[in-house]
Amino acid sequence: MTKNNNNKLKIGIYELTGCAGDALLILDCEKELVDIFQAADIQSFLMAKSDNIDGELDIALVEGSVSTEKEKKEILDIRKRAKTVVAIGICACFGGIQAAFLDEKEWEANFKEVYGNIKMKHTKPVQSKPIDEYIKVDYYLPGCPIDKEQFLSTLNRILRGNPPELYRFSVCVECKWNENDCLLNKDIPCLGPITRAGCGSICINHNLPCVGCWGPVEEANIASEFQLLREKGFDHDFIKKKMANFSGTGMADFFGKLKGEKG
Amino acid sequence: MKKISVEHLARVEGSGGISATIDGKVVTNVKFVVNEGPRLVERLTLGKTPEEDVNIVPRICAICTISHKYAILRAMENALSVKVSSKVSLLRELMHMGEMIESHSLHIYYLALPDYVGFPSAIAMASKFDLEVRIALEMKEFGNHIMKTASGRYIHGENPVIGGFGKFPSDEELAWIKSRAIQFMPFVMKTVRLFCELDYPDCPEEDTVYACCNPDKNTYGFVGDEILLSTGKTIKKEDYKNLTNEFVVSHSYAKRSLYKGKPYSVGALARVNNLGDRLKGEARKMYQRYFNRRWKRNPLFNNAAQALELLYAFERIPSIVDKMLKLSDPPLVTYTKKDGRGTGIVEAPRGLLIHSYEISGGLVSYTDIITPTAQNAEDIERYCLIAAQKFLYRGEEDKIRDRMELVVRAYDPCISCSAHMAEVRNAPPEDWKVRLAKLKERNLPIFIGVGERDRSDDAVGIELALKLKKHGVKDVWLESEVREREVPWNKASHRPLVFLDAVDFREKSGKVILLPLHYIFSDSALSHRLLPFISNGMSYERLKNSFVLGIQPESIEEGRKISSPVRQALLKVLDQIIN
Repeated sequence: MTKNNNNKLKIGIYELTGCAGDALLILDCEKELVDIFQAADIQSFLMAKSDNIDGELDIALVEGSVSTEKEKKEILDIRKRAKTVVAIGICACFGGIQAAFLDEKEWEANFKEVYGNIKMKHTKPVQSKPIDEYIKVDYYLPGCPIDKEQFLSTLNRILRGNPPELYRFSVCVECKWNENDCLLNKDIPCLGPITRAGCGSICINHNLPCVGCWGPVEEANIASEFQLLREKGFDHDFIKKKMANFSGTGMADFFGKLKGEKG
Repeated sequence: MKKISVEHLARVEGSGGISATIDGKVVTNVKFVVNEGPRLVERLTLGKTPEEDVNIVPRICAICTISHKYAILRAMENALSVKVSSKVSLLRELMHMGEMIESHSLHIYYLALPDYVGFPSAIAMASKFDLEVRIALEMKEFGNHIMKTASGRYIHGENPVIGGFGKFPSDEELAWIKSRAIQFMPFVMKTVRLFCELDYPDCPEEDTVYACCNPDKNTYGFVGDEILLSTGKTIKKEDYKNLTNEFVVSHSYAKRSLYKGKPYSVGALARVNNLGDRLKGEARKMYQRYFNRRWKRNPLFNNAAQALELLYAFERIPSIVDKMLKLSDPPLVTYTKKDGRGTGIVEAPRGLLIHSYEISGGLVSYTDIITPTAQNAEDIERYCLIAAQKFLYRGEEDKIRDRMELVVRAYDPCISCSAHMAEVRNAPPEDWKVRLAKLKERNLPIFIGVGERDRSDDAVGIELALKLKKHGVKDVWLESEVREREVPWNKASHRPLVFLDAVDFREKSGKVILLPLHYIFSDSALSHRLLPFISNGMSYERLKNSFVLGIQPESIEEGRKISSPVRQALLKVLDQIIN
């Protein structure tokens, strides 16, 4: 990767529609933040500073889903300017909670319910989608919000020109490391088997089922989890909704197949 | 170190802005804009189980995540008739204190303080306030630590659930929190003195209505089952719509609220105004020392109120921990109810947060969430307008931008970003004739002549009204007639209301202006007579459709003679109205 004059990589941190939790978490890295700002040239970080520059970037970290026409343009512009684009957080990676409406008509009807027929003057809304619906994403750092340790290690590796090493296994692995009892064995609907690890199985550590807030793990056996929950007596629609709560778009393919099989 | 410029850590959630439009001598429009895209969160909750919604809803906002979690839990438990034990309530209170500490300390030190001590940023400020900046960051971290201990994560922790907690923190963890809270006390006291003694500018200063939760047993606190207004009125939480009356505006995806047609404010200042005399301990002493009437009228005092609340939180934590240590961990409360309706209200750091749900057959069928910034938006715009108009009137246009930012920041809004927050736009000046023609097009105006006949040019409003009557124009009133009868316009707010008056707007005598009524303030000469009309029973809708047609007087000395330029102007206006 090329380096700029002062020998530091140029980074931009951007927030699209979401709760700003990932940007906030970066700010919550209070002690490490100093190091980050020293190791890299932070060109744009709206939450932290005001003298932001929209120029060429080595790395763009993008949080949030694309929910307006303006954001569509913004993400295309970011892609043009940045050599590497990293989607951070569930909304940028898989659409987040706001992408749970899988059908565009359903989304439109819901939009009308909330805002009525008022015409928005400032920017046109669109159905919420993860950023890779519009641009090529180089790396994904999921989480709701992202995990501090994972964020720091990912950034560190990218800064040194290496690809990040993210967990490519499910929450169940971390859960075993933490020696928790399996909640599925107790007939509690836990999404751990299909959810990407990295949170440290935090919910199960607190005796609570995984809600799937980090999105689906690569090559997750969603069909098997679906079947398992069906066998435990959970309703078809309930399971489907539960799986779509945090990553509707990530589940869309599977639901498509499901529909096909049913029909 | 020099590279971190946290100077505009102005909250923070997505992008927002404030803009004022200036037309000659008049600020015609102030807009608090939220550019955050629509997420339709309320709709997302429908058809899901209460437990799923408890996971989803706090994702509205990373900054107030604990308050959202707390509000939905209170609402759901209310709907499902779940009663939790006192240890659960105490841990919830503790996590809420964590959020208050985190949010308030970040806001007052990193966001607000640089403005008042003349530094561009918190980092620049470190040269003079090194200790404060560093300890404030530790204080914020301590707030984060409490949130993580109680909820499981810094942000969006899932440990608080319907019926209690997945797991309680150990006694050691709780004891550590207590001792750490006590360690902070000297710095917290210093913080209160610092922020209560800041020199808050007196513009904008204007009355408003404050609303907050009314905690039980006449205590200070951040939860309750009813809403308390600064008017003394209380509203049951179920009847919250009597307060909020939400509506949508086309320049923002954040909804708005008006109480009885008027803007109101929520937040730390609202709480201290409404509940301050219930404070105890050191917080009470500080309240008695610093609270004064200006706190009731000036939104900038929200910074002082937040400092006072930090003291309240730090004093409260040891007693919460002491009580918790005496209790054993209760199991989750289970429930069987599948239908119900419930409302939960809590105070987010930036004000009253309302969640209301209906559950039918075990699934959520109705959701209504009203956030503090949505409630504050109208008052933010109003105070910015007051400030902008005052500066413009004094010929200090260059100060408008900064002051509007100061006001917006004081509210600690959750959907904004102070980088490029304020924008002052100059609109092309519009002639009064064009405006009048537009008004007439909209609907038949009602005219009210205002003034005193024996103060030379001040008689012009009355004279004009009399002439209009003579020409057979309908619905023309004199000021004196209005006072004697019931106000004639309240039922016709679709019809523009135009006051005719001599108005000193520092122009050449005989110059005519037509501007919205609420741009006339008490410090502009001759406007005092208009104030009763503004304040007495005028709804916000009515106010928005009310105007002043003003003529610049040459003199308002005693006498019966109207000066020649003013008389000429009178005839011009008369001609314009009749034709």
